[in-house]
Formats: sequence, C-alpha cells, structure tokens
Amino acid sequence: MNALKKTLGAVVKYGSLIIGAVVAIIPIIAIFFASFKTSGEYTTTGPLTPPEDWTFIENYIRAFTEGNMLTGFLNILIILFAAIIGSTLTGSMVAFVLNRFDFRGSKILIGAFLLATLIPAVTTQVATFQIIEGLGAFNTRWAAILLYLGTDIIAVYIFLQFMQSISVSLDESAMLDGASYVDIYTRIILPLLKPAIVTVIIVKGVNVYNDFYTPFLYMPKSDLHVISTALFKFKGPYGSEWEVICAGVMIAIIPTLIAFLALQKYIYNGLTQGSVK
Amino acid sequence: MFRFSKLSYSAQRRVVIFSFSLIPVVLLLTFSYLPVFNMFQYSFTDWDGFSEMEFVGIENYITIFTNPEYFSVFKVSLYYFVATFFQMGIALYFATILSYQVRFKNFFKGVLFFPFLLNGVAIGFMFLLFFRPEGTLDTILHALGLSEYIKLWLGNPDIINISLAGTSIWRYMGFNFLIFLGAISSIDKEIYEAAEIDGANKWHQFRYIILPGIKMIVSLNLILAISGALSAFEIPYIMTGGSNGSETFVIQTVDTAFKYGKIGLGSGMAVVLLLIVIVVTVMQRKLVKED
Amino acid sequence: MNVKKFLMAGSMLTLALAGCSGSDEENGGGSTEADTSWQEMDPEEIEGEITVITQRTDIVDTVFQDYEKEFQKTYPNVEVNFEALTDYGGEIMPRMNTDQYGDVLLIPVQVPIEEIPRYFEPLGELSEMEEQYRGVEERAVDGTVYGIPIAVSYTGVIYNNSVFEEAGVTELPQTPDEFLTALDRVKQNTDAIPLYTNYAAGWPLTQWQGALPTVAGDTAYYNQTMPHEKDPFSPGKPHYELYKVMYDAAEQGLIEGDPLTTDWEASKVMMNNGEIATMVLGSWALEQIQGAGENAEDIAMMPFPTNADEVFFPLGADLNIGVNKNSENKEAALAWVDWYINDSGYAVEQAGGISASYEVELPEDLAALEEQGIQFLLQDPAKEGEEGLLDEVDKESEVGLWLEDRKKVLIEAAIGNRDETFDELMEQWNEDWNAAVDEVAANQ
Repeated sequence: MNALKKTLGAVVKYGSLIIGAVVAIIPIIAIFFASFKTSGEYTTTGPLTPPEDWTFIENYIRAFTEGNMLTGFLNILIILFAAIIGSTLTGSMVAFVLNRFDFRGSKILIGAFLLATLIPAVTTQVATFQIIEGLGAFNTRWAAILLYLGTDIIAVYIFLQFMQSISVSLDESAMLDGASYVDIYTRIILPLLKPAIVTVIIVKGVNVYNDFYTPFLYMPKSDLHVISTALFKFKGPYGSEWEVICAGVMIAIIPTLIAFLALQKYIYNGLTQGSVK
Repeated sequence: MFRFSKLSYSAQRRVVIFSFSLIPVVLLLTFSYLPVFNMFQYSFTDWDGFSEMEFVGIENYITIFTNPEYFSVFKVSLYYFVATFFQMGIALYFATILSYQVRFKNFFKGVLFFPFLLNGVAIGFMFLLFFRPEGTLDTILHALGLSEYIKLWLGNPDIINISLAGTSIWRYMGFNFLIFLGAISSIDKEIYEAAEIDGANKWHQFRYIILPGIKMIVSLNLILAISGALSAFEIPYIMTGGSNGSETFVIQTVDTAFKYGKIGLGSGMAVVLLLIVIVVTVMQRKLVKED
Repeated sequence: MNVKKFLMAGSMLTLALAGCSGSDEENGGGSTEADTSWQEMDPEEIEGEITVITQRTDIVDTVFQDYEKEFQKTYPNVEVNFEALTDYGGEIMPRMNTDQYGDVLLIPVQVPIEEIPRYFEPLGELSEMEEQYRGVEERAVDGTVYGIPIAVSYTGVIYNNSVFEEAGVTELPQTPDEFLTALDRVKQNTDAIPLYTNYAAGWPLTQWQGALPTVAGDTAYYNQTMPHEKDPFSPGKPHYELYKVMYDAAEQGLIEGDPLTTDWEASKVMMNNGEIATMVLGSWALEQIQGAGENAEDIAMMPFPTNADEVFFPLGADLNIGVNKNSENKEAALAWVDWYINDSGYAVEQAGGISASYEVELPEDLAALEEQGIQFLLQDPAKEGEEGLLDEVDKESEVGLWLEDRKKVLIEAAIGNRDETFDELMEQWNEDWNAAVDEVAANQ
C-alpha cells in the first residue's frame, strides 16, 4: 500500500517535471534549429524541421562578427560588474537597516521602494532622459549603470527574507566582543547572505543582460553597444534576417546558462550551514 | 530587538540608518520619483513632446474619465491577472518538489529556469513561430492526434489573450521559481527533519512550514505579478502591437503619448494607472494581512 | 478671404512668438536664412567630428562605414560617427528635448511641421531648392527648407505575373472591381494567396496610404482639397474607395488565412515562388521581392486600381534628413547632407527608390516604365499658411492616416473578429476627424 503510494507519487513528480521541462524547451528548439538554416531553408521549412546541414555555422559567424559581439561582451561585463556590486551593496544595506532596526520611517522606506517598482518605466522615459543628460551620463556606460543601480525592490526583499533567518543572537554575541554595526554588517551578515547574493546576481544579471531598451536610448554610440543590441543589427526597417538573429540569441544564451549552472549550487546550499545555530 | 543599554550603539544606530539608506534613497528619488513628478506635471499640459507646453488644468483627466473606452482595455488585464495565479502556483509547485530529493535535480532546475534567460524580442519572435498556422504548436498537436483542437491561436479574438498570457507565464515562471527556490532554502533544514519524525506528510510540510516560511517573498511576488498584470506591456507589444483585441492599458498609453504625440494625455493615463495599481496593492496587502 | 488670411498670419505670429519666449536662447528667434558659407570653403578646411543618426541598424556597420571613407576622400578632415536607432521615432523624441540629437539626423514625423525650425538648421529657400530636389516642399516651413528626403519612391500593387496567368487574368486590372475579380480568379484557379496584407508586421498596411493620389486621380487632393473637407471618409471620397478595396478583399476571403502570424520576410519568398499573387507596397520592395528567389522576371508593379480617368504612380518622400540647430560643426554636417543626397547612391542602392536630387539618374526599371508612357507624379504641396494643418488634424483625431492601427481594425472587422461594418468604421473616422478639425481650429 505504502509502496504503491510511493510509486504513484514518483510518477506524478517525475511526470510533471518532464512535462514542465518539455514545455520550457520546445519553443526554444525552433530557434536552435533556425540558427543552422540558410535563409532560403528558413522560409521554406517548418519550425520543427531539423536543419539540413548541422555544420552550417555561417549565421553564428555573422552574428558574432557583424554584431560586434566581442565589444558587446566587454561592455556588458563592465556594466554588469558595476551594477551587480552596486545593487548587492545598496540592497543589502537597506535590508540590513530595515531588518535589524525598528525606526520611524522604516515603513515609508520600504513602501517607497515598493512603489517605485510599480511605476511603468516606459511612461516616464522623457523625464528620465533629461535627468541622465543633465548628469552628463548620456552616451557613457554610467547611464546604464546608474539606471540599473536604482535599487530594485526584489533585491531588497530577497535580502530581507534571508536576514530573517540570520539569528540576532549572532549580532549580540559580536557586540559583546565590541563589534560595531558596520562590523556586524560586513563580517557577519554579508558572508551569510551568500545564497541570497547569488540569487540577486542571477536575477539582476539576467535582467541587465537582456535589457535592450536602456542601452539603445541612453548609449546609442556604436562602441558602447552590448549583447542584446547586437540582435538588432539584423533587423532593419525593410527586413530582418531571422536566422542570424536566432544564432545571435543562441550565442547570447550561452554565457548566462554557464553562469547559472556554475552559481546555482550556492543558492541551494542552505543558509546557516557551518555557522552558529 | 537590539540593546539600548550601550549608548554608543544607539548613536551608531542613527549613523548607520542614515548612511546605509542615503545612497539607495538618493538613487531612488533621482531615477524613480523625479521622473514621476515630471510626468505628473506633464499630465496637466497639452504637451506633444516638441512644442511649447501649455497648462490645461484637469482637461486630460476629464478626457480620460469621460471616455469609457480608455478603461475597457482593462478586461484584457483580467487574462494576465488569472495567468498570474497559474504562474505562481506552477512556480511554487516546482520549487517545492525540487527542494526535496529528486533525480537529475540540477537538470530540471536549469531547464525550468531557462526561458527567463531569453530576451524579449527573441521570445516574441519564437512565439509567433509557435502560434502560427502549421507552426510549432500545430505540429505538436498533429503528432499527438489532437488535430481537431487546432485553432487560430492569435487570429481568433477569443483566444488571442489566452495565448499571450500563456506566453507570459512561460517567460516569467522561471523567475518566480528561482526566487521561491532560494527562499525555501533559507528555511532551516532541521525543521523538516523534525516534522518528518513527527509523521507530517509532504503536504503538511508545505502548508505549515514552507509556505509560512516564505510568506513575505510570496506576497511580494504576488504584488509584483498583479501590478504586472495591470500594466502588461512587453509581450503583447512585441507580438501583436496590441491588435485584434489584445491592447492593454500601457500599450494604449504609449501609443497615445508617442504615436499620436499627446504626451500630456498619455502622462495623465499613466498617472491614473499608477493610482489604480497603488489602490489594488494596498487592498491586496490588507486582504493578505487579515488572512 | 482676406480676413481669414490675416487671422492666419496673426496666429502664425503668435505661434512664432510662443516659440521664442519659452525656448532656450540658442533655439529662440533663429534666423531662417540658410548658412551656405560651407559651399565656398575648401573641402579640406571643413573640420570636425559629426554624429549622424540613422534608422538603418542593418547597414550602419557596413554600408555606412564605406560612406564615411568615400566622404573623407573629399572632406579628409571630417570624422563621422554613426548611431543607429531601432525604433527611430520613439528613441529620438526624448533626445530632442535636450540638445543631444546628433549633428545630422532624420526629421521625425512626430515633430509638428511648424515646430521644425526650433530644432533644425535651415537648408535654403524653397523656391530655389524645389528646382534641385524632389519632395522638399512637404516639410518646408514658410518657404524655407529644413530637410531633404533620403529617397523618393512610388506606390502601387506588386504582383506575380505567372500567378495571374495561371489564374486566367490576362489583362491587368485597372478598377477596384476588376482588381477584386482578378483576386477572386486567383483564389478559384490557383493555390496562391490572392492579396497578402502583412497585417502582423503592421507597417506594410501603412503603405496603402501612399496609393491615395492614384485613387483620387488628383495630385492636389491630399494637401489642398482634403484639409477643407468635412467627412473626408464618406462614400465616393478617395480614402473610402482606397480602404474599401482592403476591406472587401479581406471580407471576401481573398487575403491570408491568419493575418496575425504573417511574416514579412517569408512573404517576399512566397511571392517570388508564386504562393502570393499581390501585395500593396512601395517601389523600394520590388527589388527585394525579385531577389527573394529564382523568379525575378515574374514580379512586376502596377498602379493601384482606380476609377479615375488619369492613371499615374504617385511619388512619395521617405524621411527627411536635416541638421541639428545646435550642432557645433554645421559646415561638416551640411557637407554630409549634401554628399549623402547627391553622391552616396543611398536612395537607389539601399532604399530601392529614386534620389531626391534631380541630378542623380533614375534607376533602370523606372526609366523603362517612363519610356512606356507611365507617369510618375509628385503631390502638390499644401497651400501657403496651411503647411502642417493636415498633419495636426491627423494627430489630434488619432485617425493616423500613416499609421497601421485603424487599418488593422478594418481587417479585423472584415474577417469577422469585430462587429462593425465598413461604413460604420468610416463613419467613426469621419466623426473623429471632424471633431479634430474643430479642435485644431479652436486652438489657432
């Protein structure tokens, strides 16, 4: 009886996982196939028809070279580096203050962050542009960095969630040793936040990496282009080369996928492992 | 929560609160609130983006509130609203089962998260391929012997919003999934072990340990998802441009402001949307708290 | 009449004053006198770095780089940087509220015509430049030219001749009725799609508007008659006739089966292969469709069906290129504009059209058509003092003659996705238009 229940449970569990995986993958297969097709082949064959020649990598070569992907990778690395470090610091600092101290205005502070994410950004672009230009950041990497830095609520909440489970007794014992609040933040909280930081890096990283709107509007100079904008090199007003765009999409996915696979183990390692419970 | 007994800590506290919040708050005010303030100002003008601004009082708001068509597009939001709950449910389900012992765990995690890695233009293009007649979806239905269920997935005005909302679930589920996965891992493992010994089954563990443990993150995700449903934009904009009955309020706002050069009116619509989102959020928080 | 003219002049003056008072010093009160001093300079004396903004993301790193090299052969001391915008109108607008909009750019259609002088450098007197360039009158303000079209093309119906033959259409349809009959023959006798709308991409629907002068049979209708018409979308009026063809074709099942998932790229190949009989497009598309497969000789172009007595291909201007008023290197910027229009070959090679400059030779197939006696006519410009009026009414009414939204609605209604009939929709266009005419008049 129990064994039957267990098998049934396993069937449901794995069945749903496999369905989920298939649903997630199938639409992407069409892109993957298309990236190996010639343009004639692309328009005449169905999306789930495999390409005739798997060694046809012309699209990848074009996407990489004509799309200036090398420059793109360099630019996005600089921006990602600054934006991620910045939003990890600002996000965890705000979360630290909100979680560890109970002060007047704390509700307003978190409310202000929440409210900010509810504003549809497309509608405020005219004013935002004037601010960026006024700061002299237009057509520099700073424009993107500053806009991505404006701490988003999701980072704050992820940090808050994790901080809840970091016992205050850790702070207290540190205080007995004479540690200041800044010490507590840098020596106790930040290291313990590692899984949360990794989550923030992934989520923020993917958002920044895929955003094409900000680089287009605020840094249109050719040598400031990033990966996501490379795809548009093949999309002109009179036509688009979809098979090259598909190859570009595949190239763009690879680093994010590697980063995700490399970092994911930190997320699941549990929180307070190895520290005082 | 902390000790006031040491005066120096109390002084430190003030300094820390001030200095730690300073930079984030300055960024927030500059890049989020200042633009909104300007938008609010524009909403009382007839500005077209190029000519001189002229103050017109509340004329734009009168236009908005006397034309019910402006609000009729909110029924499209209902599709995204309903989709939100599916998206949360699926994400929570997968995050929970993948927190336990599962074979090929990392594979499944990677695959389920994968769609979130793609950029919006690629997704729009991919799903046009997916939904078109004899496209990916129809090919699959044929293969499964379900040809009779084939529809014009985007061409049929009764189905288009379901197709688009489905695309939206596909795109964002991985994000919720990852956040939930991370949050669940912040719950102390020993609690499960203790519960298991007490004979609690998996459902009980989910209901009484996991869900309360990540309540804050779930409710935030719900707020974001619902406000996201009200201001759904990117997927329908890229895929259909809002045609065939798929127009959302934000598409309408953007078109009014930038296509027809009515920044003033468009700003007014954006202000109205923001107010609606705030009201819904406050209501939702009240409901969740009473729970 | 005189009183009206006087009032009009008065309102222009007020506008001009309003323009001065509020704007930055550098924008305000600028002269309308074109600075042509660069023409007298030795090309080597012209120096500086200019930023050129284009909408051609697809060729900015290839063709435009060659342009720079060519340009530098004459102007060795000018350095040219390019910025390509994907959503040109959307991205340039926020920038134009600062002075960061490059040195040379395309005049966004969103800028109300009378506001152009606030942002752009005058290029010359209309009366003189008309002699040299096609289409410069369209965005001229008070007799001064601020931009030159980067290309001029003509609009009509591109068709696949072998599909027509297979369907038994032996003579090219000339009237709307003949056209619909021909499409129906295609439907009955072949597997091809009679008329492909490219609804999903949206912009191909806006191409129909370019055919209006053919339907009107009158080059003065759009700019001179229509601004004074009440109910311009009523039966018998050119717009009604034009879009009736679109609606009827869709209603009679003569268009693609699922308009929502059409693909522009694929449509070119399909047309070349004989899977599509007709598409309504500008001449710039002709070469692309001919090149999309092996059957280039099957693809040709005819004027849009009309009941008018005189049949001609209407010439229409692409975006205009202009110079930023705040540019610090105006000489170099003006030199670029001049070179781009007269010497780059962009219009013919990259935009599949005719150059705005009368000095540049016509492309071959067009020259051949002209020899056959087919006429190509430019529209007559708006009357003095009415420049931009139509444009203003169009924006205010949100009819969007040059936008796709209402055309999409037409097709949705025709295929039964909406309840309105064609006449009801036209009635709605009329209402919105008339209301906007009153609104615009009240504001003046």
